[in-house]
Amino acid sequence: MAYQLYRNTTLGNSLQESLDELIQTQQITPQLALQVLLQFDKAINTALANRVRNRVNFRGSLNTYRFCDNVWTFVLNDVEFREVTDLVKVDKVKIVACDGKSESTQNKNDKWWVIK
Amino acid sequence: MASSANSNPVPKLYKSVIEDVINEVRELFLDEGVDEQVLLELKTLWENKLLQSKAVEGFHTEEQAALQAAQQQQQVQQQQQVQQQVQQVQQVQQVTQPAQAQQVILPPQQQQAPQQQVIVQDSKILQHMSATGMSAAATAATLALPTGVTPYQQLITSQGQILQVVRAPNGAQYIIQQPQQQILLQQQMQPGGVQAPVIQQVLAPLQGGLPQQTGVIIQPQQIVLASGNKVQGNTQVMQAAALTQQPGQAATAQVQQAQGAAATQGPPQAQQQAQMLQVDGAGDTSSEEDEDEEEEYDEDEEEEKDKDGGEDGQVEEEPLNSGDDVSDEEDQELFDTENVVVCQYDKIHRSKNKWKFHLKDGIMNLNGRDYVFSKAIGDAEW
Repeated sequence: MAYQLYRNTTLGNSLQESLDELIQTQQITPQLALQVLLQFDKAINTALANRVRNRVNFRGSLNTYRFCDNVWTFVLNDVEFREVTDLVKVDKVKIVACDGKSESTQNKNDKWWVIK
Repeated sequence: MASSANSNPVPKLYKSVIEDVINEVRELFLDEGVDEQVLLELKTLWENKLLQSKAVEGFHTEEQAALQAAQQQQQVQQQQQVQQQVQQVQQVQQVTQPAQAQQVILPPQQQQAPQQQVIVQDSKILQHMSATGMSAAATAATLALPTGVTPYQQLITSQGQILQVVRAPNGAQYIIQQPQQQILLQQQMQPGGVQAPVIQQVLAPLQGGLPQQTGVIIQPQQIVLASGNKVQGNTQVMQAAALTQQPGQAATAQVQQAQGAAATQGPPQAQQQAQMLQVDGAGDTSSEEDEDEEEEYDEDEEEEKDKDGGEDGQVEEEPLNSGDDVSDEEDQELFDTENVVVCQYDKIHRSKNKWKFHLKDGIMNLNGRDYVFSKAIGDAEW
């Protein structure tokens, strides 16, 4: 199961909205829409892992941090994001990060109470 | 390929993801018996939304670029029409209505109008004069509308007639005149957050083709419509004049003239009918139940007014939560673009109050634009 993390991005949200519209007009079923989203999760995870090759640095001040369910959530202020090409400054940014270590840790917390 | 080192990887990445997803789900669609057409529609919707979000630069395909160019031309034309109407309106106003406040023209972006009279000009708001619907009763008129159109606003004319503004799926608005009923003033919110205009004048059926853009004269909530008798003459004049002249520009001109008379008579009667006034957009559900909503809202409004004598019913609540955490401010600060980074973490390290972040595979939305990274390293002090 790939992370559903990327659904709340421009790409993911526009897909969800489009699917919602089709559901509204009853052109597809909600079940089918869910399948599409699952497929999207796989595709975006793969694409990011394989097709993107750039580095970014950033610096700022940490406003809040949270670690819950193996998900880190940070809010930083006055941040500068630096890439080789350009620099982006923002007053406030929220970073949501899932565990990226390995697939085993990804499945670790899934239904841990079920004895497999 | 050295030249591509500086190019933005985002559009290509997004396009490849879209292609992958669409191809993968084609089978799913076929299994469910859904037509290929729907799949293509999904793709189109998806791409269009990405385009509209402007989060990605250089995203569009050639076809979409042509579409965009056409749309932009349309917008330019519409804006030119707006300006023409503005000039006409201003001239008419100076001549006939010295007592009234100035008219403000809303640009297509739909801003709120603080002044009394406003002309709403919006590429999304199209006023169509439906000649066939004018004389029909409400239900008949609604039935006569194309499918998918539902009544969405009911507005009062200076004659006390109720116009029904209905909204078609494509965003066009139709105004249907209904027989005289109780004088109600109802304000509803338009999509997009602008307070709904109240169309006071009867927008008479206009002959000829449907204009692309017509000015709509609105007045803010404070001015209640007159009982109708006094301004009936003016309205009829306006109607007659509107019928004979070109749609759009003439209508706005005439409407303003009649409205001048209506406005002066409005305020004294406004006070009398204050109980039925809807002062602001709080009752902003676009419901079709005209009377029910108005009754509900009247009660709420009276309670609010009794409480604190002000328009804002939330004034009392503020002292109660003023001692709370600062979390409220965070919500208010950056409402437009919450800059978000969605990624995975390799390592998060902290020493005293110095944090180091090792992140990977992320999508960022900063200042409205999208970026991606395979690795990100950051430092912050807490």
